Formats: sequence, C-alpha cells, structure tokens
Amino acid sequence: MLRKKSGWKSILALTVVFALVLSGCASTEKSGNSNNAAEPSPSADAAVTAAPLTGGELSYALATSPDTLDPHRSGLAVAVRAIRTIHDNLVAQLPDGTIAPWLATEWEISEDGKSYTFKLRQDVKFHDGTPFNAEAVKFNYDRILNPETKAANSAALIRPYKSSEVIDEYTVKLNLETPSNAFLGNLSQALVSIVSPTAAQKYGDQLGKNPVGTGPFKFVSWEENSQITVERNADYNWAPPLVENQKAPYLDKVIFKIAPEEATRIGSVQSGQVLAGETIPPQNILALEKDEKLQLFKANTQGLPYTLFINQNKAPWNELKARQALQAAIDVDAIVKTLYLGTYDRAWSPLTPGTFGYDKSLEGGVKPDLDKANALLEELGYVKGADGIRVKDGKKLTLHYVDGSPNREKRNDIAAIIQQQLKQIGVAVEVEITKDVRSIVFESANYDIYGNSQVNSDPEALRSFYHSGAASVGGKQNLPAYKNAEVDSWIDQGLVEKDTAKRQELYANVQKAIIEQAVIIPIYVFPYTIAASKTVQGIKFDSLAYPLFNDTFIQK
Amino acid sequence: MKETALAKLTWPRVRASRRLATRRAKLNVSSLLIYAAGFIIVFIVLSALFPGQIAPYSPTEMVMTDIMLPPSLTHLFGTDYYGRDVFSVVVYGSRDSLLIGLASVLAGGLLGASIGALSGFLGGIFDTIIMGFIEVLMTIPGILFALAIAAAMGPSLFNVVLAVALSSVPGYARVFRGQIISVKGRSFITAARSVGAGNLRIFFRHVLPNAWSPLLVMATIGLGTSILVGSGLSFLGLGVIKEIPDWGTLLSQGRGYLTVAWWMSTFPGLAITLLVLSVNLLGDKLRDHIDPKKSRV
Repeated sequence: MLRKKSGWKSILALTVVFALVLSGCASTEKSGNSNNAAEPSPSADAAVTAAPLTGGELSYALATSPDTLDPHRSGLAVAVRAIRTIHDNLVAQLPDGTIAPWLATEWEISEDGKSYTFKLRQDVKFHDGTPFNAEAVKFNYDRILNPETKAANSAALIRPYKSSEVIDEYTVKLNLETPSNAFLGNLSQALVSIVSPTAAQKYGDQLGKNPVGTGPFKFVSWEENSQITVERNADYNWAPPLVENQKAPYLDKVIFKIAPEEATRIGSVQSGQVLAGETIPPQNILALEKDEKLQLFKANTQGLPYTLFINQNKAPWNELKARQALQAAIDVDAIVKTLYLGTYDRAWSPLTPGTFGYDKSLEGGVKPDLDKANALLEELGYVKGADGIRVKDGKKLTLHYVDGSPNREKRNDIAAIIQQQLKQIGVAVEVEITKDVRSIVFESANYDIYGNSQVNSDPEALRSFYHSGAASVGGKQNLPAYKNAEVDSWIDQGLVEKDTAKRQELYANVQKAIIEQAVIIPIYVFPYTIAASKTVQGIKFDSLAYPLFNDTFIQK
Repeated sequence: MKETALAKLTWPRVRASRRLATRRAKLNVSSLLIYAAGFIIVFIVLSALFPGQIAPYSPTEMVMTDIMLPPSLTHLFGTDYYGRDVFSVVVYGSRDSLLIGLASVLAGGLLGASIGALSGFLGGIFDTIIMGFIEVLMTIPGILFALAIAAAMGPSLFNVVLAVALSSVPGYARVFRGQIISVKGRSFITAARSVGAGNLRIFFRHVLPNAWSPLLVMATIGLGTSILVGSGLSFLGLGVIKEIPDWGTLLSQGRGYLTVAWWMSTFPGLAITLLVLSVNLLGDKLRDHIDPKKSRV
C-alpha cells in the first residue's frame, strides 16, 4: 500500500513538471485544424474583389479584462479598445497631431484661450434614441467633474475645464480655468467620449456594464472574464476622418474575447479560433511574419516612451556625473535589440516620435561608452573594490532598481540586463520586482531607478513627470525628483503658446535639457500589435494607437 | 527498530533460497534505477557545490549576439533570450533549488516533528487542540498554503523556504504524532514506566529512537515535493529574485518562448523532473529498507 502510494507520488511529480513545461505548447499544437468558428460567409459573387463586404463577426482576443466600459471611470488601455467602438468624441486627432471635426463640425477659441465654442452635428442619436445635443455635451463634461462619478483618468484629461454654457440646441461653449493647448487633443481621447445622458442617469454607477454612446457599434453583452459583444449601429453616419467608411461599419458584430494567457491568445489566432488577437510578444511577431495565413497590424503608441527615471533625491544620483555614468554605461540599443528582436523602436527622448514637439535631433546623441562612465565615477571618488564594486567612504555604490510584477513588456528583463551592464562599471544593481509599486515607489519614494510610460496626445504630458510642481511621488516630488526652473517655465509656456513653431521649440528645449542632464534613460516606444487572419481587412488606428473597426471587413 | 534491520539482513538467506534467483533479477532492474537516481543526485549536488568547475560559461554573461541559439556542441542546452548559456545557468541554478528543498524539509520536518511529538506524547486536551488546528491546516492544499505565505511576505530566499516549510508542517506533525502514540502504547514503554523511568527519560530513551524512522522516509520523499513547491513558487513569480535564477524562474522565463526556442524551459524543467524523480526513488528504497512491515512479508 504505502509503496504504491509513493510511486504515485513520483508520477504525480513528473506530470506536474511536464505540465509546467508543456503548458505553452498545448494551444499552438492545434494549428493544424483551422476551423473558423466566426464568420458566416457573405454573398459569394462579391468574394473575389477586395471591396468591403458587409456582414460577419470579428472575434478579437484582448490581453486582459476591461475594468469598466464607462469611459469616464476607466483607467485601463484595454478597456479603451472596447469603449472606442461604442463611443464618439467631439473632435478627433489625426496622426499628424492636428484636430479634425467629429461630433462637433466646427469650433472657435476665444482670444484669451479660455473658452471654446463648438457647433455640433444635428443628425446624431445615441443608441438608446436620446438625441445628441448641446445639453448632452454639457451633461457629459459636468459628469466628469462631479466627484460622485468617481472619474478616473478622464478627470485629469479634461483639466482645466470649468463649466459649459448651452448657447442653443446645437451650440455649446466650454469655459476653462486657464488656457490650455492640450485641451482639444485631450477632448479627442476615448476616456472623455460622450455617453448618453439618459443612460447615465438611469444606470448611475452601473453605466460601465450597460454603456450607451453614439459610436459605430452598440453594446450587446458582457460576460465577466469571458467576452464583450458589440453589434453594428445601422444608423451610424458620423465617423471621424481617421477612417474611410463614414457610414455604418461593415461588420455585424465585434466579439472581444478575454485571453490573458499569451500562449493561448496567440495560439487561438494561429488555429483560427479567433480572427484577431492583440499584444503579440516580439518572439511571436517574428514567427507570425512567416505564417502565410496571418498578418500583423502595428502602430506605435504616443506620449512618453518607456523611460527609466533616476531618483535625484537619492545619493549619489543627485550628482550629474553619476547620472551621466549610468547614461553612458547602459547600452539601450543592445537591450532593445536583444529583448524585442527588432520589433520595438528605441526611444531617444522623453517623448515618442509621433508626439507633437518631438525633437528628432536627439536621435543618435547618447552613445554607450564604458571608459567615460568609469572615468566619471572615478572623478566622484568611487574606487573599485576587490569584488569589482565601487566604494567611497566605505560605502558600496549600489542602485536600487524597482520594477513591477507581472513582467509586462519584458520590463523585468530590462532590469536583469542593466544589472549586468552596470556591473561592468562597478555599480551593484539590486533589482526589486514587486506587486506593490504603489507603496514602494509612489508612497515611500524608495527607489533609485523606476521605469514608466504614458500614452498621451500632447507634450503637456511632460508636466506630471518633469515639472517641479508635479508631486506624484509621496506628495513631494516628481518621479525623477527633478527641479529645474527653466524646464518649468518652458512647460508652462508650452501650455499657452499659440504659435506652433514657438511651441515646438519650447518642447525641444525641455527634451534637450532632460537628456543633457541625464535625468532619465529612455528605453523603447511601445507598438500596439494585432495578429489577424489574412481575411481580416482594414483595421485602422486612432492617433494613440487604439484600433478602429469602422473600415474593417472580413474577406472570404 | 534495530532488531528489524538486523532481521532483514539475515532472514532471506535462511528461508527462501528457491526464490532467491527471481529476486535477484528483479533487483537488477530496480537497482539500476537506483544507481541512475544516485548518479543524478550526485551530479546535481556537485553542480550546486562546485558550479564553476562544471559550467563552461558564466551564468550571468549575456552575449547579445548569440541569443536563442539552439542546442549544439558549444552550447549544450542552447542559449536563452539574453544570450546566456542555458546549461551554465541550469548548473548554477541548482544551488537555490536544492537549498530551498533541503532547508525547507529540515525546517518543516523539525517543526512538524516537534509539534507531533509533543502532541502525541502529552495527549489529552493539548493533543486535541493541536491536532484540530493541524487538521484544519491539512484541508488547505500545500502549494496554496505556500502561495499565500509567499505572496503575503514578498519574494526572498528566506520567505520561500519558510513558505515551503510551513506548508509541509501539518503532514510531518500528523505522521509523527501517530508514530509516537503507537510506540507509547507498546509494552516496553509500560515496562520502563513500571521500573520508575521518568517522562523525559522515556521520551528520549525509548519513544523517540523507535519512532523517528518513518519521519526520515517521509522527509526524503518530502524533499522532492519541497523542491517542486519551491520551483512552483518561483515559476509563479513569488520566488527568489537573484542574478542567477533558480530552475522554477528559468522555467517561467522560457515559457513565452516555447514555440520559438523550446530549449529555454525544457532543460530546466527536465532538471526539476530528474531531481524530484531521483529523490523519490531513493526515498522509496529507503522506505523498503526501514519499513518493518516490508521486511516481515
């Protein structure tokens, strides 16, 4: 008896390990049977042409579950993928940064920059039949300001909005506390899109489960942790200039399937269980490019790239030379090429290339130079000890590198590589991977380096990271604990400067100063990626790289 | 227990000469397995003790031009996505994996045995309370218990050992308590008591020496489980974060690359499998050796 039992134990142990090893394989091995569970076939005679076909369902695998579909209360990028299909905005931002009409046909900005008067489209209706008008716009923006809404990111985006005046049924005037160049761009973001006032009043804080907008798709159902379904809004006739099809979308339905496990998500695209899946890891991108049945959609996100912030409140990183040593010792090119296999672009500036004001002249500026890095540390009085780690006054030169768990976009691996790179100049990197970034970084400021990124539509995003007035960390400092009066004034001027060229120059100054003073190490620009069957045509992106399905159709 | 071990050595020769031939043939297959298991364990222990002598490369050296090379003569297990030699990393990683296994078995076994011994020997209300508590803990699966502890305390070597050790305590406590009670009721204990031996003397001189051997077997087999639980914690990201990753971490690092570079997680996985299997085989053998029921059949 006893003997038998322990035999079972070893077999069990064996099975568990094999299960661990093989867990990723399972889904991809299915790739032989490509059963397309999704689309009913459209009319046969139109099949050969590339002209858009009406009908069909697009199944789309999401990497995580959205928190809510109430745009004003969400803070997750993944929620925006679904929110975008249901809701529209007053204006749209084009890829070159210019603002185009959407639900508003035209607008006027007052001389002092503190009030915006919008003329609205007159033919727009919410999914529940509520007419879209000036009252609805006023209701929405006031809703974001109202503390009872518990607005998340939208509250920050709509700043410095103060109040709305309904001029007539289709004219609304928005008043701001202070002028802001970022305001129109922010109004284009999905998180400040327009919800039906009737539905918002009816559902209250349950609007997130019953979203009603004016968008190209109507909400149908949300099965928790499983899928979200939206269907075609046949009345749709007010698409933004970001897409070609101005009328109702071609697809009958979009079904967002929630598939957090990477291997499962990619495997189900490969096997044809879903037609498209998002956030494809680099190693799979390379494999997918060789797959004849699949294609890849890719769009770089905008705003702040993934950036390592060096905390200047911690010695010796308050010293310019110490930070410059890090800048010279960290080989960003090698990191990005190794980990992302050429699928991500390297970042050079505090802004991403697509963002307004990006300073291209910074590209190629910082080069890895170990001799320079070593020399800089010597100058500061750090001498290499027996174990290769530098010492000054009996204290070892250590760097406390904090990163979050789970390992998003291989950021933990960046830490591991930097640990090895900095060892070469005698800096001991202590990597702390934590689930509790909020308390370690943002409450107790206990880090020498912490990395972060932000998707944003305007260089005003720099304020919350580099302006000395920003106190996101412990209520006292910005992430790099950076204080520079000049940079502060450039950011302040950039917010109100009306002349585009001058504004561009202001932001170029900010970027140059930040790189020259080695405040940060910019690492990579995150591309939003979609793997899809070749039958899926016409997935477009908005300026922040969120997918748009207005033009999408399924080819037979 | 000494007398049974002696019996085992002498008994077959006297009584079953006819069965001896078949017995030897059987022994050969199983002893071959035992030798293989012993060899694997010796190799892994050597790897843990002298990794520098066995690994051809440094486990932290990242050669960015040699990423994800398949297994070859220069890189026996291939290279990973950092450009590290997988064989070298596995060799160095054995240290933490073994350490977690050994330390947690030692800690868990000692703590469990102490609780079980006290509970079994003292009996009464104390026994009822302790065992009630242990029984409640036994309803929680070991890995889940370890997971909860590790998640609450944060990742570090000490915490992982603690988590794995604590999760194994109820098992040891129960087995040892049962053993103590069974020995306590035997007549030689009554005899000792009747000649006036005190509680302490009875416990240390008579009960303990006759009760510890099942615990040894359990600890040997528990070693496999502990290594597995430790690796599981690392795999789930609750393990040790160090420059040189342990096997569970390696397994999880390579998981996303299974379709493009299978060797990254297959070899660490194989290492875990072989070690756990070998430890279990030896544990079985040890049980055969010690188990009184076995030797009397």
